[in-house]
Amino acid sequence: MNPLFEQQILQTRRQFFGQTGLRMGGVALSYLLGQSMSRAATSQVHPAMPGLPHFPGKAKAVIYLHMNGGPSQLDMWDYKPKLVEQFDKDLPKSFLGERITTMTSGQGKFPVAPSKFKFAQHGQCGRWVSELQPHVAKIVDDIALIKTVHTNAINHDPACTFVMTGSEVPGKPSMGSWISYGLGAETSDLPSFVALMPRFPEGSNGQALFSRMWGPGFLPGKHSGVVLRAGVDPVLYLENPPGVDSAGRRAMLDTLGKLNQAGFQKFGDPDIQTRIAQYEMAYRLQTSVPELTDMSKESQATLDLYGPEVKKPGSFAGSALLARRLVERGVRFVQIMHRGWDSHGDLPNQLGAQCRDTDQGVAALVMDLKQRGMLNDVLVVWGGEFGRTVYSQGTLTKDNYGRDHHPKNFCMWMAGGGIKGGITLGETDEYSYNPVADPVHINEINATILHCLGIHHDRFTFKFQGLDQKLTGVEPMKVVKQILA
Amino acid sequence: MRRILPLLLLTLPPAVAGELSFNRDIRPILSDKCFACHGMDPKKREAKLRLDLPEAATAKNEEGKAAIVPGKPDESLMWQRIMTKDEDDVMPPPESHKELNAAEKETLRKWIEQGAQYQKHWAFETPGKPAVPEGAGGDLDRFLTVRLKQDGLTLSPEADRETLIRRVSLALTGLPPKVEEVDAFIADKADGAYERMVDRFLNSKLYGEEMARHWLDVARYADTHGLHLDNERQTWAYRDWVVGAFKRNLPFDQFTIEQLAGDLIPNATQDQLVATGFNRCNVTTSEGGSIDAEYVFRYAVERASTTAQTWLGLTAGCAVCHDHKYDPISAKEFYSLYAFFHSNADPAMDGNALLTAPVMKVKPDGFDAKIKEFDEKTAMVQKKMTAKMSAVTYTDPAEQNPKPPVTKLEQVWFDDAFPEGAQAASVGHAVTFVDTPVASGKKSLKRGGAQMAQDYYQAGAQPLEVPQDGKFFVHVYLDPADPPEEVMIQFHSDQWKHRALWGDDVIEFGAKNTTERFKAGMLPPPGKWTKLEVDAAKMGMAKGTKVVGYAFTVHGGTAFFDKMGVESRTDPAGDPALSFAAWRTAQKGKDTPGAPGDVNGWLKEGPEKARQPDELKKIRDYYLQHVCAATKPQFAAELSELGDVKKKRQDYDANFPSTFVWKDLPQPRESFVMTRGQYDKPAEKVEPGTLAVLPPLKKAAARASRLDLAQWLVAPENPLTARVTVNRFWQQVFGTGLVTTSHDFGTQGTLPSHPELLDWLSLWFQENKWDVKKLMRVMLTSAAFRQQSAAPADNWQRDPANKWLSRGPRFRLDAEQLRDQSLYVSGLINLEMGGKGVRVYQPANIWEPVGFAGSNTRNYAPDKGAALYRRSLYVFYKRTAPAPFMVNFDAPNREQSCTRRERNNTPLQALQLMNDVQHYEAARAFGERLMKAAATPEDRIILAFRTVLSRKPLPEEGAAVRELYRQQLAKYQAAPAEAKKAINFGESKPDPALNEPELAAWALVCNLILNMDEAVVRN
Repeated sequence: MNPLFEQQILQTRRQFFGQTGLRMGGVALSYLLGQSMSRAATSQVHPAMPGLPHFPGKAKAVIYLHMNGGPSQLDMWDYKPKLVEQFDKDLPKSFLGERITTMTSGQGKFPVAPSKFKFAQHGQCGRWVSELQPHVAKIVDDIALIKTVHTNAINHDPACTFVMTGSEVPGKPSMGSWISYGLGAETSDLPSFVALMPRFPEGSNGQALFSRMWGPGFLPGKHSGVVLRAGVDPVLYLENPPGVDSAGRRAMLDTLGKLNQAGFQKFGDPDIQTRIAQYEMAYRLQTSVPELTDMSKESQATLDLYGPEVKKPGSFAGSALLARRLVERGVRFVQIMHRGWDSHGDLPNQLGAQCRDTDQGVAALVMDLKQRGMLNDVLVVWGGEFGRTVYSQGTLTKDNYGRDHHPKNFCMWMAGGGIKGGITLGETDEYSYNPVADPVHINEINATILHCLGIHHDRFTFKFQGLDQKLTGVEPMKVVKQILA
Repeated sequence: MRRILPLLLLTLPPAVAGELSFNRDIRPILSDKCFACHGMDPKKREAKLRLDLPEAATAKNEEGKAAIVPGKPDESLMWQRIMTKDEDDVMPPPESHKELNAAEKETLRKWIEQGAQYQKHWAFETPGKPAVPEGAGGDLDRFLTVRLKQDGLTLSPEADRETLIRRVSLALTGLPPKVEEVDAFIADKADGAYERMVDRFLNSKLYGEEMARHWLDVARYADTHGLHLDNERQTWAYRDWVVGAFKRNLPFDQFTIEQLAGDLIPNATQDQLVATGFNRCNVTTSEGGSIDAEYVFRYAVERASTTAQTWLGLTAGCAVCHDHKYDPISAKEFYSLYAFFHSNADPAMDGNALLTAPVMKVKPDGFDAKIKEFDEKTAMVQKKMTAKMSAVTYTDPAEQNPKPPVTKLEQVWFDDAFPEGAQAASVGHAVTFVDTPVASGKKSLKRGGAQMAQDYYQAGAQPLEVPQDGKFFVHVYLDPADPPEEVMIQFHSDQWKHRALWGDDVIEFGAKNTTERFKAGMLPPPGKWTKLEVDAAKMGMAKGTKVVGYAFTVHGGTAFFDKMGVESRTDPAGDPALSFAAWRTAQKGKDTPGAPGDVNGWLKEGPEKARQPDELKKIRDYYLQHVCAATKPQFAAELSELGDVKKKRQDYDANFPSTFVWKDLPQPRESFVMTRGQYDKPAEKVEPGTLAVLPPLKKAAARASRLDLAQWLVAPENPLTARVTVNRFWQQVFGTGLVTTSHDFGTQGTLPSHPELLDWLSLWFQENKWDVKKLMRVMLTSAAFRQQSAAPADNWQRDPANKWLSRGPRFRLDAEQLRDQSLYVSGLINLEMGGKGVRVYQPANIWEPVGFAGSNTRNYAPDKGAALYRRSLYVFYKRTAPAPFMVNFDAPNREQSCTRRERNNTPLQALQLMNDVQHYEAARAFGERLMKAAATPEDRIILAFRTVLSRKPLPEEGAAVRELYRQQLAKYQAAPAEAKKAINFGESKPDPALNEPELAAWALVCNLILNMDEAVVRN
């Protein structure tokens, strides 16, 4: 909050309490004024919950890159060179297990589709990366790859809801909302939680997103992710109406402030003060958001790092750069949701397009953060809602195939604040069909994200419907210690 | 927490010093800190100890010690373990993160010392009707006053009349009062003026809409399915039922029974069946790859949980996976409740369909009679045609020997009607047939418009086939009073690309000088019929081109069209239009739209298949009456009449939608306890049943029905339903419930602030036959409701959340109320009630970036005109991307039941109220009203305040607003182009007679007033 403005409010409050002859001890007075004073002291619009963080976290902010639809671990990360020998042979029944989606459960056979993409080792860590990710291959020493993430859900809607809210059934708060609720934000001019939905390649199979993925669930609505949109009006209703300029708005707000001050004198309702402050914050957003989205002051070197698409509004690269600018300005949680990863058929082409759309931006984001010394403070998370099957859905040739949903193991990675770079956790069987070592549940990923921020996931609760609700659900979950720095 | 501990100690309830109450003082502590491991759930129970039951808590263990020894804290294991310094022994264990503070410990010790008396959880106890306390005022107020006194507080004085009427009007209609209503109330000096005013609003037709709004949150009503594709769902008749039920004051017990079991009421009315849409409002899926059994399970869980939460205020859903940890609901009891809802006949996959069975057509009175009337008319015409058949002579040219020579053939494509089945539409006024002038048959088609206007169809009818060397003709009569600049006929093959025009060539369709835009000649003289002709080839139509639609188009005037068709030369023996045999061959394997079902089937099977003589006759009659170019003209009048009746029947039928209803499978599904809430892990079998802690269910038959359940919910002995219901209405009226957690009356919920009042009111409600209007009236006429909400600082400190109601309720308006208020004061509002959800202004890219490509709610196209200004209750509710004007102000996404909305206060709300086109357009329209109704700036400002706030401005307020007006007026006078922009934001246009800079300045002033705290709050 603007310190000057806060000062005004405080003065008014003191006057108000003073005038009416408040006679109370120091403790009670500071209790009554407490929230406001502590906010003034730190100039925070988005304060943290008392007692949070539970311990000093390594990361101060999160950029979550959600690859919506289920990227194929087999074609990007989980290198299985021996599968070539298994081409078109049926996946042995012993691997198949009980639950497959009805999209392929009717297939008479489950022919193994080896990845058509070449893999090579990269970085000091020597990680295998497929040719689809030439740029990300350059940052492998900064990332911790988990090859054995698993989820409960097998379809998009419940799986997306699960990955973002820790529960398959709608109604729970999104991770960003939890973190906004717990930690607030460092900025007074921007929201604490921002969601971005970049464009995705035409021809890819774009699945739906759901507002619950950035929604507040049962938490107070102010912790909802604010969608920052491409183009004009990046924040809803940000622009003044046509024919109303900033000076006109300022004049209106000055009069409004006077009228509302008078209302406060009349009613005594502290909410009126909050409302006055929120209108002022709204006015500041009208300046801070255009400044945020204006890339003209970025150096050519930075723009080059993100690639030629960066200047196109709504591109993935542009969104990645925007994410950096957001956390730079104190936003706590940025969520980029890139669609189109649901390659049931024509996977090599679709996945190729998806990677071309994102690879450089993803790598640039990590490099950019690192160059600026921000990577220690910012946790970057990459992943989808599930992985894809080793067997082909539909027609299989050496060069073309499709893959169905696969929840039992898929790849996610994290980098930055609190994470040990250059390591790989977990191993899958020869078909990338089941974890054979170190399985990691999606809510353990979530617990780990909270941990990096200094939050103990078991103690971070909100009482709703008679339960101490948690992001990580009712089942016990462990932080993935192996990947922590 | 530690920081404010001293304060907590200071404010410990006086009870600590005196007698402790288990429910008030002890249960909250035990529930919060102990029951998770020592409560109802046997699976999580530690050391076999439970503290929720007195017998168990005081029972001795193997060592002869008891957790609680009444009267003796020091001998009680519980107390010892709480106080021990040993980290391994201390309770609660540190790893549980459930620390007891000093005050809580002391309270527990005192309680044991006082004898450790237990009580059943308050909400499960039957309310005993408490005596109304002595004192002044109404019954409600006396309960409140007694409690206020304990804290040295009193009720505040009554608010002024302006404040009161706005408060009442918003509470009962969701809109502020009109200035005339304010004046009438102020002028009514007789006794009972306030009560009369309340009654006026209770009887307003808008009352049902405001009341329904709250219930629809609970019922999780929406216009989409909610999962995956999130396609449109048509169940708005249920929404309208809710509005109507409140409006006609359906008693709440009946309201309950009809929604939960309307289908089981003997001789259920249509209305009662519509009501069962309540439990069809849950989210459903049709995502490829989903497993049916899982969703059948999930839907039943959702419906059981919603029902329990709505009527019992219990979070029964917790018992899906295990016995409830805090409330006495075992998993078995939950699944017994679930069994009531497990047998709905809806499929696991909703098919992404607008209507997912079971659905029901909502017919008005007389619907069936009306349809019968149409059908009789049709039968009559058909009879007439049959009678005429004897006069028809026809020999199939294919059967003639020698075969007839190539001849000239005229095929009429349009005369008095579009082809059967065609879905005719228009640009400009609706399709209009007139009796004069007429060139052929009985009618002609009148088409006019200032610019381009047309009548056309492009689907629904049997394709027409272009013959060899065809020449199109159309009869046209130009209106001499309004001659057009151009007339055009157009044909749709695979697309609209065949056009012939006469006149100025100003209609911008197709590329000039191509077959897409062939200029066939000059306009004919007006005032007489002319047959215009054009070769099919000039329009790019070769032999065999299939035409699925055509259009009559004009520009800048009016023309009448009649008898249109194509002339050609044909070999009669091979032409389906002339030869019955050729036609049958051509229709083989195809549908013949318009033909009766049996005829269509026979035709499809082809001429080779042997037919009975009567079948053959039916086919042939159909051919001669409807198809054959040689004989069809003899039936022109009847065919036109048939088409007419058919269209009227369709139009009538389309007015009445179908809606989702509840219907059980003929054979109910078997229900089981599902281990850990997994759909594929059935355990013990269960029968429909309720909770043991509540009074027993009365069953009408061996197997309990939903009707039994509904009646049990509203039975006098049920301790929860009336309390929960009264509390929800209290929340609606006072802003917060007597039980703050209005969704949870279990042990984890908050205790009632005024337990006696809640009990008294819930019994009063039942004694008054669950009369909701009466309940609203008793709350709204209380002194508590009528208090000033303005209060001195001292009051705000002592009762910050107004828990004790020491001042009038004051809280922010809900999302719908904010939008509706702006529209209402501006005069833009459209108060039409009911019907399909409307699509109002919405910023671009709310649906599109999230929608699945195949979803039919992916692209948002706002409605035009009056629909933009409908009340918010009727705005289309898309669950995965609800309207921002709603969610920004804390409306739920309706994915699950919502009993209480948050009231956040955010900058995004400020931006919306200042800048949303909806609000700025309303501000401008409001400005116009002011300019027309009052002459001076002073009077206009007074009127503005009175319209929005119901009160006049104070002098300093008036001065501040005037100053803004003066300043903005000067600015807009210097920049008239900006003024023009400001007043043209939105679809409605400003009155051109008004001075633009003035109006622009008033728009900003109105925007200011509608953004005042006092305007966005119910004061």
